Amino acid sequence: MTQAPIIATGLSRSFGTGDDAIKAVDGVDLEVQQGEIFGFLGPNGAGKSTTVRMLTTLLKPSAGTAFVAGYDVVKDADKVRRSIGVALQDAAIDPLMTGRELLTLQAVLYGLSKVAGKNRGEELLERVGLTAAADRRVGTYSGGMRRRLDLALSLVHEPTVLFLDEPTTGLDPMSRLTLWEEVKRLNAGGTTVLLTTQYLEEADQLADRIAIIDHGHIVRQGAPRELKALVGSPTLSISVASSETDEARSILARFGDLRPTSEGTLGVGLARGAEDVAAVIRALDEAGLKVRHLELDEPSLDDVFAEATGYRLEGADAANKPTESEAAPEEKKSRRGRK
Amino acid sequence: MSVSIADPKMMASSSSTRSLLRHTFVLTRRSVIGRLRQPAVLAPAFIFPLFFAALGSASFNRLASDPYFTANIATSFLNYAVAGAVLQGVLFGSTSAAGDLATDIEQGFFERLLASPISRTAIVLGRLAASMVVAVVQVVIFMAIFLVAGARIESGPIGFIGLIGGGALLALAMSAMMAGLAIKSGSPEVVQGAFPLVFVLMFLSSAFFPRHYMKGWYRTVADWNPLSHIVEGMQGFMNHELSASQFAKSWLIPFVLANIGIAFALRALNNRLAAS
Amino acid sequence: MTEQTVNTRTISDGARPFEVVAILVKRSMMRVRRMPSAFIPSLVMPVFQLIAFSGAFGFAVTSLGIKNALDWYVPLNAMQGASFGALGVSFGLINDMQTGFFDRILMAPTPRWVTVVSSLAAAVVRCVVPITFVVIVGYIGGMNTPGGFMAIVCVAIASIAIAVVAAGFALGLTFRMRNLGAATLTQFAIFFTIFLSTSQVPLSAMSGWLRGVARINPMTNILRFARQGFLGDVTWEQSWGGIIAMAVLLILTFIFAMTGIKKFDQ
Repeated sequence: MTQAPIIATGLSRSFGTGDDAIKAVDGVDLEVQQGEIFGFLGPNGAGKSTTVRMLTTLLKPSAGTAFVAGYDVVKDADKVRRSIGVALQDAAIDPLMTGRELLTLQAVLYGLSKVAGKNRGEELLERVGLTAAADRRVGTYSGGMRRRLDLALSLVHEPTVLFLDEPTTGLDPMSRLTLWEEVKRLNAGGTTVLLTTQYLEEADQLADRIAIIDHGHIVRQGAPRELKALVGSPTLSISVASSETDEARSILARFGDLRPTSEGTLGVGLARGAEDVAAVIRALDEAGLKVRHLELDEPSLDDVFAEATGYRLEGADAANKPTESEAAPEEKKSRRGRK
Repeated sequence: MSVSIADPKMMASSSSTRSLLRHTFVLTRRSVIGRLRQPAVLAPAFIFPLFFAALGSASFNRLASDPYFTANIATSFLNYAVAGAVLQGVLFGSTSAAGDLATDIEQGFFERLLASPISRTAIVLGRLAASMVVAVVQVVIFMAIFLVAGARIESGPIGFIGLIGGGALLALAMSAMMAGLAIKSGSPEVVQGAFPLVFVLMFLSSAFFPRHYMKGWYRTVADWNPLSHIVEGMQGFMNHELSASQFAKSWLIPFVLANIGIAFALRALNNRLAAS
Repeated sequence: MTEQTVNTRTISDGARPFEVVAILVKRSMMRVRRMPSAFIPSLVMPVFQLIAFSGAFGFAVTSLGIKNALDWYVPLNAMQGASFGALGVSFGLINDMQTGFFDRILMAPTPRWVTVVSSLAAAVVRCVVPITFVVIVGYIGGMNTPGGFMAIVCVAIASIAIAVVAAGFALGLTFRMRNLGAATLTQFAIFFTIFLSTSQVPLSAMSGWLRGVARINPMTNILRFARQGFLGDVTWEQSWGGIIAMAVLLILTFIFAMTGIKKFDQ
């Protein structure tokens, strides 16, 4: 397979007709590389789900093209379906069925032979740690177990491309970590993953590259690091003895704009990035000031997201360091205004 | 104003009786307007009884050639079916009204009413009175349609009033029982679930077909079913000379049932208040 | 974890349609077993109606020369029970749409007709119990079957056909409406189609408008087909009208369901 596993060009979808038509997705270009974990972010109603539904053949595009696993999602929908695994939002599983029954059903839906389906099912149950619960009805599963089962279901036919639609929404931190580990393992085995999420931390942890969609358009695309760097410089906070504060402040000002931080510390936005940290320390040392504490905060994905869309995702503050989100409330508002 | 509905002395005192009446009147008006504003909910209570009556008179009109039928029961099957349709319409309407009450309880609106200085008895009576008003409107509309279709009220204008009164009292009885069920359970599902039971009772009576032609245990059940006698009283107004027995059957039986129903509903309300 | 690379993966070569139909029907049955409360009404209602119709309207048909009212009403209520049982398929589909489970089926590499056919097949399996139940109650009540075994065969064929037609109609509506309104509308459609036929009394006993409507209602032909073995011998003369009516309705509702899923797919 020489082609990138997911390529979308000018992908669009509108709902309704005539003047009432709503363009949910408007000219989306995406390219997900082989072996990548690609994070797909956006506020609710931005076109995230619609895009994923088009890529997974559940919805026909009104314009543009998309190739998944090398096949056209419209002309070769059936071949696309054979190549992709999809873990759906809210883990769409029948609560009256047991985990094992669902795996068997999924195996039949994908044309595995009885023996192959059984073996594959056992292997996957083992892998997601559900062997003991396999014969219980899914209705009795916890949220984390459901997601793990859902993931196992999406892997039955060994897909080369995996779509995970908000796989950890509503999960407790432990279950989330378990699922992240599993996604990383899968990816290490060569599976390309497209992940939609509303947790920026999740995208930051897992994704090699991300795209942010807003109002049906891709507004940012790239590696999280690059995107963060685009938003602004990292913040260096230091604390020194109170008698030395003024002197320290004037030294810091040479390296960038001073930024508000918590009581008793000084903050500066490093204009040339993290590489200036050594220079700052040296300058303080030369002036004979003793640094008691030092901390370097990169701009978060939350800042990227806010800058790109004018929104902060719900729960973003909890997922990121409080100092960062407190640092620039005014800025956020002005961004929103600018949009 | 904290009138306990269980306290007969308070109920009897003239000032609270006056406010009870006033509140009942206000709540009745509100409830009637509420019912008439949802034609989609009321529609089945009109469509199905009329459809069954039309179907019955087209299917069973041959029965009118049976000598016993013409001599003792009705002049035509249409004339026979009128009372059954009235009964059915009133029962349908009252059940759906109780469904509204259960929904109010479930959604907490009822609690808010209870917290207001409105007599608790008025809250229940207002609903019941509204059911009667809706039933009167319903019976009048039904009668107009049937008269146009060729039915005749053999007992004359007093019989017409007899039919309306019977319908209103039956609505009171049915609404009271269903309201009791709604207050007791607080769940629209339970009220909806009781609906098939009403349907069963209707089939096991002379509402759709004369009791005279039924056999075996089916006949026995129909004989004991109060709905049989209520509907036969109404059929009397339609098909025979005016008589006291018509009033006894179609007014007195529902009246007795209504008293039992109201006692049940108020008791359920008291229990609900005591529990909360 | 096994070492996997893109090139060595065994990509599924698509499902075998009949295995998919079989497992989806099995799932439907399993849901009935595990949630019987949703199924019981479709068992109780036809039996109650059988008792109510034959108890209340018995005289109307026995006075026309039919030996036992059950002979007239057993076929009707078997068909009615089958059609209401088929509605469960529509409820199940709506439930699957709401939970997203239906997306799982749509995303699998199985042809669309498999989805429709498995729902119709599930309707057939579901209707077996109500039909049997009604027939057994009929036997207990002393119904006559002069047509012998063929009497039962005709009732079974007609009931299954009606179940499939009802399910196909419900599916077509469900794919288009995507809400419970589809099941309600189907219920109304079944109700009026059945009652505006010879459901209660023979054509000869009807008067006026009803006779005109019942005469052109295909349900009348199907009822004649279903009842013949209970009233006399099974003959070709009484059968062909019903067979044509069933065939036409089956084709139309299948097309309706298939075009429905195509619309849903857009």
